[in-house]
Amino acid sequence: MTLFHFFNCAILTFGPHAVYYSATPLSEYDTLRTSVKAGVVYLATALVKLVCLATFLQVSETEVFDPYQEALKAMIGFIDVAGLYYALAQLTHRNISQNHKFQAVGLGWAFADSVLHRLAPLWVGARGLEFTWDYVLQGLEANANLVFTISLAALGSLMWLRKNKPKSLIPIIYTCAVIIATMPSITSYLKRVMGWHFPKIVGFELVTSLVMAFISCQLFSLCQRPSL
Amino acid sequence: MADEKKSKQRHRVMVFESMYPVVALMLILVACVELCDAATVVDVYRLIQYDISGVPFGSRFSSLNHHAASLSFQRGADLSRSVLILPLRELDIGFVRDYISQKQSLGGLLILLPQTFRPGNIDGGSQSSENDGFRNLLAELEKLLVHGNIPFPVYFAFENEETDAMLADVKKNDALGQQATATTGGYKLVISVSEPRKIASPTITNIQGWLPGSRADGDSNQLPTIAVVASYDTFGAAPALSVGSDSNGSGVVSLLEVARLFSILYSNPKTRGRYNLLFALTSGGPYNYEGTQKWLKSLDQRMRESIDYAICLNSVGSWDSELLIHVSKPPDNAYIKQIFEGFSNVGQDLGFQVGLKHKKINISNSRVAWEHEQFSRLRVTAATLSELSTPPELLENSGSLSDTRQLVNEDAIIKGVKLVAESLAKHIYGHQGKDIKIFADDSSLAVNPFYVRSWLDLLSQTPRVAPFLLKNDPLIMALKKELEDYTAEVSVQHESLDGSFTFYDSTKASLNIYQVASVTFDLLLLLVLGSYLIVLFSFLVITTRGLDDLISLFRRPPSRKVKMA
Repeated sequence: MTLFHFFNCAILTFGPHAVYYSATPLSEYDTLRTSVKAGVVYLATALVKLVCLATFLQVSETEVFDPYQEALKAMIGFIDVAGLYYALAQLTHRNISQNHKFQAVGLGWAFADSVLHRLAPLWVGARGLEFTWDYVLQGLEANANLVFTISLAALGSLMWLRKNKPKSLIPIIYTCAVIIATMPSITSYLKRVMGWHFPKIVGFELVTSLVMAFISCQLFSLCQRPSL
Repeated sequence: MADEKKSKQRHRVMVFESMYPVVALMLILVACVELCDAATVVDVYRLIQYDISGVPFGSRFSSLNHHAASLSFQRGADLSRSVLILPLRELDIGFVRDYISQKQSLGGLLILLPQTFRPGNIDGGSQSSENDGFRNLLAELEKLLVHGNIPFPVYFAFENEETDAMLADVKKNDALGQQATATTGGYKLVISVSEPRKIASPTITNIQGWLPGSRADGDSNQLPTIAVVASYDTFGAAPALSVGSDSNGSGVVSLLEVARLFSILYSNPKTRGRYNLLFALTSGGPYNYEGTQKWLKSLDQRMRESIDYAICLNSVGSWDSELLIHVSKPPDNAYIKQIFEGFSNVGQDLGFQVGLKHKKINISNSRVAWEHEQFSRLRVTAATLSELSTPPELLENSGSLSDTRQLVNEDAIIKGVKLVAESLAKHIYGHQGKDIKIFADDSSLAVNPFYVRSWLDLLSQTPRVAPFLLKNDPLIMALKKELEDYTAEVSVQHESLDGSFTFYDSTKASLNIYQVASVTFDLLLLLVLGSYLIVLFSFLVITTRGLDDLISLFRRPPSRKVKMA
């Protein structure tokens, strides 16, 4: 019954995106086009990142944590942030409130990320006879990634789209954004140096994503107040 | 402000509530994380499948796709869709015998052998008493399996860490009473090979080497000949593992060493004897020495008549103090007496006993127990030198699973080689009764123990069941080349194994071991995920649109109808 397992893992990986879209007012305001545009921007960003990684990075045979390489990877990771900035700020959207804009962009971004990174392994691997927990863990990671992306989009919209912010909150906003943007480096550090296994890393990601979501929600509502 | 605080509190409560499914999933993960095994692949070797005159023997099936079960299953449980894993260490031969004789259905049988029986495992001679017990058990098991008609696939594999871990798991599950089926998970063993086909025309290949003696002026064709013969092929329960170190690897090695020694002697015309020497490596040994018969019949009549006598070597590798000469002519025959006296004198000089055993040939019985009987049926004097005291039964003592390198003692082979070489030399050069040692140690004609060891090691790693050896098999080419080095003329004869024996292919396969989750697990996971998505949905609706919206999703809008009415 391994197609069953594939179906389970697929709904775990892609279900939350659909649920998020239908549950929140995004569906009422028909923000699908924004999400699709964000997905396309993600695709372009991923290509640029691939080219940069191939050009500047050396592939090491062993799983050694090389600080220089990791720093390089983190810098290339900031291309992600640039792409998100482009999707949030530069693309013209129809009249959607800022509240919904960042959610739609984050959703489209995270969905494109899940599809690109997780669909192929899922299709190839989860249908086999042998049972592993890998694909369930991957689905949980996709969930964490969704929360991260939406938080990052929220913080991004605070940074670039909102003009009047309380001065005291600006450093917090920037630090949170930096933490979320460097999550890949943090997880790779945990995997290689601390030797954590996949389940532990996924657990850590889930917890951090919830914490970050909570913090960015609070920040967003705090910044909301002056305009009210 | 109070409303805001309440909604915030509700918000917090919702956050915590939504974490419950995540926490539950993580608990399941932590509890079951040991199930993260990858698939393993093990080499397995199939039981032989053959027919004698149409009567089927051996295992008749080859492909396998069932769950694993161990001996700790509940008595009376249905095993027809399970593969029973039997390690040799815990084998209960009575159980297997009952299972086969009562023709109970079984999905398959996988027998795990200790690593010491792996061909090529040269060390491991320690714990010999335990190994002897295993050898006896293995011999009994083989007899049972080879002579029975088994309607399910039987495979042999060697124990390693992965199979040990799997077996321990399976035993634990069986002890709890959970039979591994589609709904309870467990291990699935899959061997996907095509159905076994008959081998179309199996060939047996005889290799002979001719070393001519020195002719007196003129009549060379009348020089008498002495033949040394050994059959090199094997037959065992698992054809891919039948290396037959003792039966008859020891005979082949002895023949090659004797050929080498005499080729040195005969290379110098001054020491060339007045006898021709004929060395023959025959095939078809386990099948009533069919190859020997065909080889003899193919020989020139004059050549056959010029054979003074033939010495056949069969299992000379694991004896201690007594070697036996088996004859079919009565012991008081002059030739036999001469041969026996020659051998026993040399044996006494070398420090061991040589005995004589006589077995009459029963012409009406087609069973040929010793190789010399094929010679005797064609009126050639012959004897078999062997450590076995009783004639082997059909398809026995011809390279079983327990006949590995450790069973063979190089010193025994060296003693046997000295015996044969000195006895032949005494006969050829006419030194009967004189105390002359031609092949003394430290001479240039000493028996070379390294040669013996290297050929023995090679033969102990090469399975040699005749129907599975092609005409130009590397082993046959190697034996031919070796004889070419030592003799003047080598000829290779290919015959087809006719008549009653039919063999089927598919002797080796790869076993895939999968760890599968049960259907109930998948259903449970679906349930958990469904509830997680529903909770997520409700949480998002509540936080972004408010609780009323959530309730309104489920309630039909009767109030609107009332309003419109």
